Amino acid sequence: MRRVAVIGVGVTKFGKHDRTSGELFAEAAVDALADAELPPGAVQALYYGNVVGGETEHQLHTGPQAASILGIPTVPTTRFETACASSHAAFRHAVMEIAAGVSDVVLVGGGERVLNVPTAESTEYFAYASDASWEQPLGLTFPGVFALVARAHMAKYGTTEEQMAAVAVKNHKHGTMNPKAQFQKEITLETVMKSPYVADPLKLYDCCPFTDGGAAIVLASEDVARPRRRAVWVLGTAAASDSMLLGDKKDLSRVMATERAAKAAYQQAGKSPSDVNVVELHDCFTIAEIVATEGLGLFEPGAGGIAAERGDTSLGGKVPVNPSGGLKSKGHPIGATGAAQIAEIVTQLRGEAGPRQVDGARTGLTHTLGGNTATVLVSLFGRE
Amino acid sequence: MSEPVVTLKSFFEQAREGRLTGIKCGGCGEIAIPPKQFCANCGARAWQSVPLSGEGTLASYTIIRVAPAGHAADAPYAVGVVKLKEGAAIFGRIVDVPFEKLAVGLALRFRPIVVKEQTSVGFAP
Repeated sequence: MRRVAVIGVGVTKFGKHDRTSGELFAEAAVDALADAELPPGAVQALYYGNVVGGETEHQLHTGPQAASILGIPTVPTTRFETACASSHAAFRHAVMEIAAGVSDVVLVGGGERVLNVPTAESTEYFAYASDASWEQPLGLTFPGVFALVARAHMAKYGTTEEQMAAVAVKNHKHGTMNPKAQFQKEITLETVMKSPYVADPLKLYDCCPFTDGGAAIVLASEDVARPRRRAVWVLGTAAASDSMLLGDKKDLSRVMATERAAKAAYQQAGKSPSDVNVVELHDCFTIAEIVATEGLGLFEPGAGGIAAERGDTSLGGKVPVNPSGGLKSKGHPIGATGAAQIAEIVTQLRGEAGPRQVDGARTGLTHTLGGNTATVLVSLFGRE
Repeated sequence: MSEPVVTLKSFFEQAREGRLTGIKCGGCGEIAIPPKQFCANCGARAWQSVPLSGEGTLASYTIIRVAPAGHAADAPYAVGVVKLKEGAAIFGRIVDVPFEKLAVGLALRFRPIVVKEQTSVGFAP
């Protein structure tokens, strides 16, 4: 298999936009191509993530639509849908296309638009990623899924609401250093603790926002990437799944798909958790970050909340997590999130992250979770 | 013939009458919630339909206060995962329990929730 590198990244401002998901992706892609110093004609394929286009924009077939807006209408395109992990799944398949020798330059990205519909509507569309026979008819929501994880984690390990709140405070602080973030405002522990319950024990400030945005990355084969000083190498990329039904999951206090994907990605990269200097992971809810830091092997099971409270995952801590502000503060345009996380890790490993730079970062990790914990992707990146 | 021994349609028809139906693997004895073709535990395809008691304990729960558009009128409402005494676990709405009495380990019993043509899984004390 051939080595693969990221040679260009682009991310729009996250927040509310008056442009479609296809337009937002294309804006990010223009920046990614400029960063890669390549013309659009160099792109041989587009792997694209978009989740609720069918619902919020009455738009299917979003792959060729995005390619057409970008101005590369004739390249092969495929739209990936693995709920919130869509563009990370797209990335993994694009890496395989280059590694297999099929293409030398592939564009990966995603776009999402949800703030054009009311919250009750977007909450319903996101719930389509849970089971339509067993779970949706009972009014399960995504905060509801992670509230069940939180309650199980609290019962098993004694994790507290204050420890979860510490994750929100930390990610909001990181977000103040990211000009692309949806929120650039510090919050206090008290703000989180006093916010209303959305799905007990999760409160409003434990939850990431609804977000419009786009992200894009340019992948290249070793021959194309080697002369480029700022290339960042893909060391490993793995996907794992778990049972769709909540009742079928073996232990609600863990995300088994994270543990399986992490093991495979570390093995591909020849790395272990202690080698990782910077992490962008899927903090759709504060408890999701705590459980992910455990599943990725950064902390022992049950120690994730304590580590967050102690500052181990803050910038300047033992292993900084979500220096971008994470989904919580940067925002979560679901189809674009995986690509945006990769863009942040590439920026960090290049040493170009400005005030939120993790000093001397050599190895980075991205983790993206889809829907009801049934999909997870983990990738590792490094400099030469 | 590859139609499973219990389909979603037949499960919810039984559930509507108050009967919870599981499937038991002839290979390893695993009790599962239908429909499944192969057993995820042992790989066998030897399911038999088994009646479930509907009795179990609450493994985790939440109170949904911000509901999807279709459920906004019901909010707030409690949902949870109940570990049945036969071994399988199942997600359902929890009714007739005051929110402050909800706790991991609480004993509950299956009760169908029927709204128009839609039957769903519910649990009550």
